[in-house]
Amino acid sequence: MSDWQIAIERALENNIPKVEEILNQYPYLKDYGVQLRQTKEEVVNNLEKYVKQTMESVKRTGGKVYLAKDAEEAREILKDIVGSNKKIVMAKTNVGHEINVTETLEAKNNQVFETDLGAYLIQLSHGESSHIVFPSLHLTRENIGELLHDKLNMPVNRNSTIEELVAQVRQFLRQRYMEADIGITGANSISADSGSVALVENEGNIRIDTVFPPVHIVITGIDKIVPTLDDALKEVMVQSAYAGLYPPTYINVSSGPSSTADIELKRVSPATGPKEFHVILLDNGRMEASKDPDMKEALLCIKCGRCYFSCPVYRVKGSSWGQPPYGGPTGAMWTAIVNKDYETANYCTHSGGCREVCPVQINIPKVLEHIKWLFIDEGQNNLSVTP
Amino acid sequence: MAQKLQRQLSAIKKVMVGTLNKNYVPFPVDKSLCSRWTNDLSHGGETIIYTSFMYQLASLFKSYEKYLPTFSNMGGSSRMASLGKLFIKPKKEDLERSYAILRNISAMLKKAGINHGYLYDDEPYSGGLLLELGMINEFKEYGGKVLQKFKDNGVRRVITVDPHTTNAMERMKKLLNSDIEVVNYLTLIKGLSGNGQFVIHDPCLYTRYLDLGETMRDVLTNAGIKVKEDIMVTSKEYGTCCGGPLGPVDLELSSKIAEDRARKLLSVSDKVLVACPLCYQNLSPYIKNIKDIAEVVS
Repeated sequence: MSDWQIAIERALENNIPKVEEILNQYPYLKDYGVQLRQTKEEVVNNLEKYVKQTMESVKRTGGKVYLAKDAEEAREILKDIVGSNKKIVMAKTNVGHEINVTETLEAKNNQVFETDLGAYLIQLSHGESSHIVFPSLHLTRENIGELLHDKLNMPVNRNSTIEELVAQVRQFLRQRYMEADIGITGANSISADSGSVALVENEGNIRIDTVFPPVHIVITGIDKIVPTLDDALKEVMVQSAYAGLYPPTYINVSSGPSSTADIELKRVSPATGPKEFHVILLDNGRMEASKDPDMKEALLCIKCGRCYFSCPVYRVKGSSWGQPPYGGPTGAMWTAIVNKDYETANYCTHSGGCREVCPVQINIPKVLEHIKWLFIDEGQNNLSVTP
Repeated sequence: MAQKLQRQLSAIKKVMVGTLNKNYVPFPVDKSLCSRWTNDLSHGGETIIYTSFMYQLASLFKSYEKYLPTFSNMGGSSRMASLGKLFIKPKKEDLERSYAILRNISAMLKKAGINHGYLYDDEPYSGGLLLELGMINEFKEYGGKVLQKFKDNGVRRVITVDPHTTNAMERMKKLLNSDIEVVNYLTLIKGLSGNGQFVIHDPCLYTRYLDLGETMRDVLTNAGIKVKEDIMVTSKEYGTCCGGPLGPVDLELSSKIAEDRARKLLSVSDKVLVACPLCYQNLSPYIKNIKDIAEVVS
């Protein structure tokens, strides 16, 4: 078996029974998924209104908020906020990947360190992410043992246990936070009513990234907006459960820069945590998709990545299907939205498991059928010009 | 890359739409080969058994896929298409097997008291391949002709025998607002017998689109067949496709998926059951003991 086959088989064996066990043990999570679909549909059907409300709410908390129409505009905004010669700790962000945060900031003489273990392994190996939640899924423990030994001279090898590997990287990553000027994260959800960013994690890196450096920058898509903070918390709970990690070790909520009301109950900012809080909301095709009756279904995705494991194409092709970070069945929809890549969808076999396991019941094969049609249609135009 | 696949799909579309419009078949083929499995059913009638050539031509789907790059390079010319008629024919043993399956399905329907006719050489292909390749406009256009053909022959109810045709007909009904009744044979047959123990490879369209997974299991267990299940391999959530629908897009990937699927199935049982002629074609190179449902119940 190839390394990919070994890696995916181990992931399936570890993840599928775990998700089933979680959903049986905490039955309210399925109900939350159904509710989330309704609240997210409400947002997608009125996206402009909710973007406006979210921006007003972030400002009200003392944060700064920006709406970027495309990746280029998001990069310019980010460069202006960050400047140069900064040390940045970053929590894995798919929207950050979408706009190439690392390359953009490094080009301005900044140092960017991924703090999520999986994302860090990708950075270290100069590889590509192979799953939206578990980016280093394609690396086996043997690969990682060799990588850490070869690149960082760590006392591990291909026979090391997973616990030994994690312990080594833990020591290394903890040192990175001390010197950081800026923390960059994505968002699992953002609430329109309060402007709060919710993030779910297990490693502890997001908690540190969001409170230790003096500046916290959030980069997220407008599809992550939900009406209320209550919805935002439900979204992170569902996301972590369907990724097989429930209860999550940490749920983080950030609403503006740090603050205190300990003196005369007057709330002032900053306090101990960040003094600046920036939210960059990215459109990059999402608003257009929300107006397309066939495509807008894709915007309901909460990026739990469960659909990947039910997909026969992903099981065989891994990260070579789609354009990272958008791979697997949901990625075939998302690469069409953000990259106008309609070819990827043609590799869907309409196996249909993706729809069965989706917590918000997205009819992924139906969306992909529509994208296949766009591809054929586009081809007709292309081929009539270039026979 | 995108242009290469667009050229390939465009060539398929050109060839397929051409042959469909001319002869109601997806590839240039001698239609009489497909209807020889019976001569004792009445021609037409209100209720018909509808094969859509799927069992008879299943082996050709793969053969044609091998020649797709050539079609593509030639722009899907009609000369290539007519050459296909000369050198691509179903093998005798494949045809004989498909005839036996169809005869058994017809007999099981009769046993359940379902009188049915057949359109013989007037039978049209459903257009399922157009639908599954995203050629929705062409599917709708051709679907109108298929429905007209049924109407012309006085057909009001079609009994489908495979997942692709069942799905195509259901979609056609919705897209074109047709009141034709579509019913799958598995929902009609009863009082059957069979034996053995198998793992089922669910056809995606039956189990995850048409809600026939349980029906299929009921048919088997009621007939006395034991079905082995494993959540990782045979559940609605985690069971996967045989890769067949990817043949026209990427034959190599299609085969790799089939090999992967076969490995999973064989981890549950060395005896595998399918309910779709394309699944059979795709999986049989990797599984020695593989049969269609209509080969184990009667």
